[in-house]
Amino acid sequence: MNAQEAMAKPVRHSRTAMWRRQHAWCLRDSLRQLARRPFGTALTIVVMGLALALPLAFYLLLVNVQHLATALGDSQSVNVFLKTDVVADAAEKLATTLRARADVGTVTVRTPRQGIEELAAMQGFGDAVKSLPDNPLPFMLLIEPRAGTGRAQVEHMVAAVRAMPGVDLVQDNGQWRARLDALIAVGQRVTLLLAVLLGAAAVLVIGNTVRLDIRSRANEIIVQQLIGASAGFVRRPYLYEGAWYGLAAGLVAVLLVLLLEAVLAAPVRDLVASYTGRLHFGGLSWATLAAGWVIAVVLGWLGALVASSRHLLYPRS
Amino acid sequence: MIRFDSVSKRYPEGREALIDVSFKVEAGEMLFVTGHSGAGKTTLLKLIALIERPSGGAIEVHGRDLARVRHRGIPRLRRDIGMVFQDHRLLMDRSAADNVALPLVIAGIPHEERGKRVRGALEKVGLAGRGKDAPAGLSTGEQQRVGIARAIVARPALIIADEPTGNLDPQLSEEIMQLFVSLRQTGSTILIASHDLALLKRMKQRVVVLDHGHLIDDVPGSEVA
Repeated sequence: MNAQEAMAKPVRHSRTAMWRRQHAWCLRDSLRQLARRPFGTALTIVVMGLALALPLAFYLLLVNVQHLATALGDSQSVNVFLKTDVVADAAEKLATTLRARADVGTVTVRTPRQGIEELAAMQGFGDAVKSLPDNPLPFMLLIEPRAGTGRAQVEHMVAAVRAMPGVDLVQDNGQWRARLDALIAVGQRVTLLLAVLLGAAAVLVIGNTVRLDIRSRANEIIVQQLIGASAGFVRRPYLYEGAWYGLAAGLVAVLLVLLLEAVLAAPVRDLVASYTGRLHFGGLSWATLAAGWVIAVVLGWLGALVASSRHLLYPRS
Repeated sequence: MIRFDSVSKRYPEGREALIDVSFKVEAGEMLFVTGHSGAGKTTLLKLIALIERPSGGAIEVHGRDLARVRHRGIPRLRRDIGMVFQDHRLLMDRSAADNVALPLVIAGIPHEERGKRVRGALEKVGLAGRGKDAPAGLSTGEQQRVGIARAIVARPALIIADEPTGNLDPQLSEEIMQLFVSLRQTGSTILIASHDLALLKRMKQRVVVLDHGHLIDDVPGSEVA
């Protein structure tokens, strides 16, 4: 094909195909621009990755505290320790009285023998229990409030039980659980706040990087506009650039969190094993990590969108 | 193809760049716009490409009233115009072929066809086989040829050039102008702003003369001497 033929042959193309080809070019162009300055690109990715890893790490901590709370029981159960001189019949009578209350679901009588066996089974207590001359434990009543009973009603019931004859000590398990739940709620807020603040920081980091890139490519932008590039075409490489930053930074953040999990898993497992052995250190789910990654891409794209909206000023005529 | 009807352009600072200018250019015609520096040549070209809007009068390009072209429609209008600049406006970090290909990329032309057309355009301006060269490795005249190849590669019906020989020596200027004359054979309408009167006389094409924004003369090619 000679120059004349190459220049003269008209070909029609569908709009969708044209649009797809424009995107493919802009995508490649954005990668080319990032590869042109590897150090700056890597620095931006690491900074954004660290910013995104921090809320993920907090979330990891929170998830494990929630695991801990779940493992320790989530009921509003009440432990009633009777005086040591209360015998089995009296304990059963007290249990029957309590079962008659509207706010009580179940009452289980635990004998001193059951109590000492349970204590002996717990790690670290076996030898101590063996060395005791006799069983010092009293009868205990384990009260489970009726389902749907509110916290105020439980507290009212606890006060009534405390006043009953033969009762030595009442342990309201729901109280510490309520405190733990409140602490977890605070943790969730802090994590959310941190995620929002660091997410905004990531948007600003990418926005500033893209702004500098737009400034350094001002001539190219003008040429593109003069030869007929639409506003979308001019902006597209920068949006892709932001998304690439987000993709890479998201990967860095996910890898950092996985590293954190790997580093902490063994010592935390040893720590919890020294207690009941019922607890475990759990990592973030793959769905959570994938969501974090997607959010990172969106944040990168958003940063580029903000910068290009503000700094890609198309000449008005 | 192009119709200026009592067109005026006053810039915001108050300078009158064009005053009551009227002329017509037929399809396939080649027209030189000349005049001293500040006469309004560049403004006239800017109005055609909608880089500026007129303060008064009407402009028609390809049968379209430019006053009716909204901001969003400007890129489409410009894709139908090949523009050549005095300073080439090449992207120095891309090869000559990549520069020439840019209008085709913007138009979404497939890669294979793009390659063929870029090679064809470079061949037409005498730069066959130089596509991989960086603009910095080309002479000023070759850079201008790359600029012209970029302007013609999308086969626009209209080519406008603002002082395309402004930075070139007389021999190169003549070569570039001859190149424009040869492009006319493809059927394109060509509008060139130039202040080089001696060169225009040798080209023997229609010349419109501007002076302080006024169109003072419109000389047919046969009468240029």
